[in-house]
Amino acid sequence: MTETITEGRTKLESELRNMVGNVFVPEAKVFGMACGCTGFAADLRGLQVDAVEVFREKITTLLEEISASVEVKPEFIYARKLPGSEEVVILTTRQLCERCRREFAGSKAPPRPDIIVLKKKR
Amino acid sequence: MVSLKIPHPGHFAALQEIIAVKEAEGLDAVDEVFMGGSPDVMGSGRGVLHAPLLDEIREQTEYAHEHGIKMNLTMNATCTGGHHLSFEGFKMFSWYFKELNKAGVDAVTVADPYLVDMLRDYPMQAVVSCLAYVESPQRARFFDELGADMITVDTNINRHFDLLEGIVNAVNCRVRLIVNEGCLYRCPFRYSHYNLASHLSSLNQPRAPLWAPDYYFDKCISLRLRDPVQIVKSAWIRPEDLAEYEAIGITDFKLSGRTKTVNWIIDCMRYYAHRAFDGNVLDILDCPQMLRYLLYLDNKKLSGSISHWKSCKKICNECGYCERLTKEALTILK
Repeated sequence: MTETITEGRTKLESELRNMVGNVFVPEAKVFGMACGCTGFAADLRGLQVDAVEVFREKITTLLEEISASVEVKPEFIYARKLPGSEEVVILTTRQLCERCRREFAGSKAPPRPDIIVLKKKR
Repeated sequence: MVSLKIPHPGHFAALQEIIAVKEAEGLDAVDEVFMGGSPDVMGSGRGVLHAPLLDEIREQTEYAHEHGIKMNLTMNATCTGGHHLSFEGFKMFSWYFKELNKAGVDAVTVADPYLVDMLRDYPMQAVVSCLAYVESPQRARFFDELGADMITVDTNINRHFDLLEGIVNAVNCRVRLIVNEGCLYRCPFRYSHYNLASHLSSLNQPRAPLWAPDYYFDKCISLRLRDPVQIVKSAWIRPEDLAEYEAIGITDFKLSGRTKTVNWIIDCMRYYAHRAFDGNVLDILDCPQMLRYLLYLDNKKLSGSISHWKSCKKICNECGYCERLTKEALTILK
């Protein structure tokens, strides 16, 4: 698993660089939350909201692949931007618990203004 | 009639969804939303996840008005580093208030007395934030005479009915309570933490990277884990207990939570509008939300506790009521 996470980090960074230029992924991790959600998250520097919008499909597909490789079902995929800016600082895929399926991913609107929803499993 | 003020995270889609639910379910008590303003102008007592520009504020305010909802801009930083008292700061706030007024904003929530004073020049309501720490008739009277249209009292006195009644009787303006803030009762971090939040949510940032980024929050969570009675002692108000406050002349209630998710806000709006909630009290508190995954405070088992708290002298070492209540109502989730 540790090698797969490292490979996922490298792949994400490399593909994002091919798409938009100099992007850095300093850290990627698989996480488990107290609520029951699990996920894959990659910290980022150098990626901006407009690039995420332009390459939305490619980035989503890429995250789905990496997520599956670390055994996280990518039910909810999102980018989080630094509040008040256009900088995207984390890309996350999440396998949702029942509570978060409704509370976090259940609204028509993005759950918070700093979150850009890339994929939501209906 | 009771009036509920609902947190708005800031993005237009959230406002539309909140209003859609309010209308579809006939939640008539809901009459105002509030959101943070631009960090370019001022920070805020909470993190700011969205920085609405004036055009967006205007657009959202118009939408809210079309649906009979008032718009409140929250600019309740507790520290600006004195910027507002400089000539530049004065000009900036004057310009921003004028623009908010042109955008149709109904009310501005501020913590600093100088800004309350400035707001007298505009038709918008001057709402005193709970971060002005109004906890006595004396201080309430000061803000009332300064020109406040509404005072949000310090949550620390939410269960001090003698003081609340005294404040209601001392002022001509309206009095508002925040119902679902779960901060520690008489929190020793309160002033320092809100000063930190005010800087972090503004352009007036600390000069060096923080070494202990949120000491106050981390300490707060740890304290409660070691002593869960603190959760019961916090000054939140159960949805079922709003009538007790109406009885002393308070009819304006604000829900905290503008940094939370849309559906969480909508759920809380429902519970307080219906004045009924069957579940874990920690699920409806703005903070400390993370503890809801570990602790379950059964709201039904707290029924009637307001009768004690109304007359409690808050000398906890002599009383022990909250400790007994915690044993009855709080369980640790497996």
